[in-house]
Amino acid sequence: MYKRRIMKDRLFTLAVSVLGLLALAPLFHIIYTVTVRGVPAILEAGPSFFTEPPAPPGSERLGGIAPALLGSFWLALISTMLGIPLAFLVGLFLYEFKESRLARLVRVFTMSLLEIPTILVGMLVYTIVVIPLGGFSVAAGAIALAIVMLPYVATYVERALDSVPATYREAALGLGLSRARTSLIIAGIARRGVLAGFLIGFAKAIGETAPLLFTVGSARNSLNPSPFEPGDAVPLLVFQFIATPYENWIKLAWGAAFVLTVTVLTVFIALRVVVREVRL
Amino acid sequence: MAQKRPAEARSDKLFYYALIPFASTAFLIILLTLFVLTAKGLPALEFYGLKVLTSTRWLPNEFDPEKAVYGLLPAIAGTLVTAIIAVVIALPLSLSLTVLVEELAPSRVRDILSSLVDVMAGMPTIVYGVWGIGFLAPILAPIYSGLQSTLGSLPLFSCEPTGGFSILTAGLLLAIMIIPFIFAVVKEAYRAIPATYREAALSLGMTRYEYTRLLMGMIKPAIIAGVLLGFGRAASETVAVALVVGNAFNLPLCIIGPGITVSSLIANQFGEANLYPLMQNVLYLGGLVLLVLGLASNFLGILMLTRVRVRV
Repeated sequence: MYKRRIMKDRLFTLAVSVLGLLALAPLFHIIYTVTVRGVPAILEAGPSFFTEPPAPPGSERLGGIAPALLGSFWLALISTMLGIPLAFLVGLFLYEFKESRLARLVRVFTMSLLEIPTILVGMLVYTIVVIPLGGFSVAAGAIALAIVMLPYVATYVERALDSVPATYREAALGLGLSRARTSLIIAGIARRGVLAGFLIGFAKAIGETAPLLFTVGSARNSLNPSPFEPGDAVPLLVFQFIATPYENWIKLAWGAAFVLTVTVLTVFIALRVVVREVRL
Repeated sequence: MAQKRPAEARSDKLFYYALIPFASTAFLIILLTLFVLTAKGLPALEFYGLKVLTSTRWLPNEFDPEKAVYGLLPAIAGTLVTAIIAVVIALPLSLSLTVLVEELAPSRVRDILSSLVDVMAGMPTIVYGVWGIGFLAPILAPIYSGLQSTLGSLPLFSCEPTGGFSILTAGLLLAIMIIPFIFAVVKEAYRAIPATYREAALSLGMTRYEYTRLLMGMIKPAIIAGVLLGFGRAASETVAVALVVGNAFNLPLCIIGPGITVSSLIANQFGEANLYPLMQNVLYLGGLVLLVLGLASNFLGILMLTRVRVRV
């Protein structure tokens, strides 16, 4: 009897370890695949990968992804400028008035926003921004991205504020400071956690594809810097090039996917550095 | 001092009211999405009747909406089947990962594993998509051919595989993508179990297998919540699925053949749908189905999570 229990335990430990590691294995293979297919493509294109628009389909040349890079830069900038302050205030509200009934409702809706398919956010912005304005634009894409990042950043900010020991809050209130002042002081103490939330929002703005499908307009050849003109984005280019029959476009898609992966991994390493020191 | 208090309270009230417009944005966005999808989707339902939800054919017509046939059933069924496959595969993997991280790994390794899961959750979905199209689908193609030639008499494997692009490939890719989300929900509940239970179980001489099973049983609502939230995630994923599912208007009866999901249908057709009368409205209706599915699984998931907090 005893032996059977030990055997069962050993088997369980083995199975759980194997399955657990199997769950993580795809991550390594994904990074490996994107690297071995993306780096040669970038090397083949040379410096023009970062300075030129894509070459015509089926051409011998690759060209580059410059308009997509520029578009992603603008999208990240505008969407974080819109989304992060908004999300910060939502997080502040959730933290400061957490005992109120309204805050509980706000939390449910913010969590529900996480589950709304991002392609529907694209449809929404297409209907209420793109059509009234008469065309695709980088600004419309940025609005869609700001909506997508809102729940991630807000919940992260709330958690960061919540992790500050209550004594600080009590001390600030005890000094007679208003709740607005107090919560800003708490946000100052939790600044690294709050910053981590902002970085999550930035990573979302860089990597999301579906909200951009019907909003930015895939203007793949223009280096137009105006946010009210159609533009392109790196993930959008990857999505629309990878499934084409043109070899040079497929290579560009792999190269762009590599750039995207490196960017997001860099954000995550920054996040790790920022958050490690936040433990209070 | 006593006189100053009302003034302070007033500034606090002001702070509260000043934040409300920002706090309600999530609510307004959901409401607006629901409104837009309903307002634009209903004309399709009015014109085509329930047939638009039950038909399996998709025959657009540029000039006459009467001659066009739009059926969302293959897409809705495809969304459900791919998401169910994803959850069934992801659940045992996520639970194993939880036990591995929480019970087996030494504390330093635990940190590394946790941040790897974070990276998995944060990796752009399009990167999963290119991996699916560049690696997963090609290696599955010969396996599907083998399945068809050996088990072809079963309806599940009876169709001609097309280069690894299939319902099953989409389900597998989704499984990988939702592991971090199920893991996060289950891990949080597992950690919240008071240490006394663990100590009591171990003091009774339980083996690790026995007491892990006991603790997992205690957080069953959280596991169900993880499944529901993971299902919602899988049902709403767009670009990665659109790249590997094959995009053919088939009912997902044979899982090794190409199919379609609601989100991949929208991704592929919405851009040019305004060229066809009423096609855009049909797609808005599909979006409404997707929204209701997402909100329902989220709501049930949150409900389950509140039950964990009561029980543990």
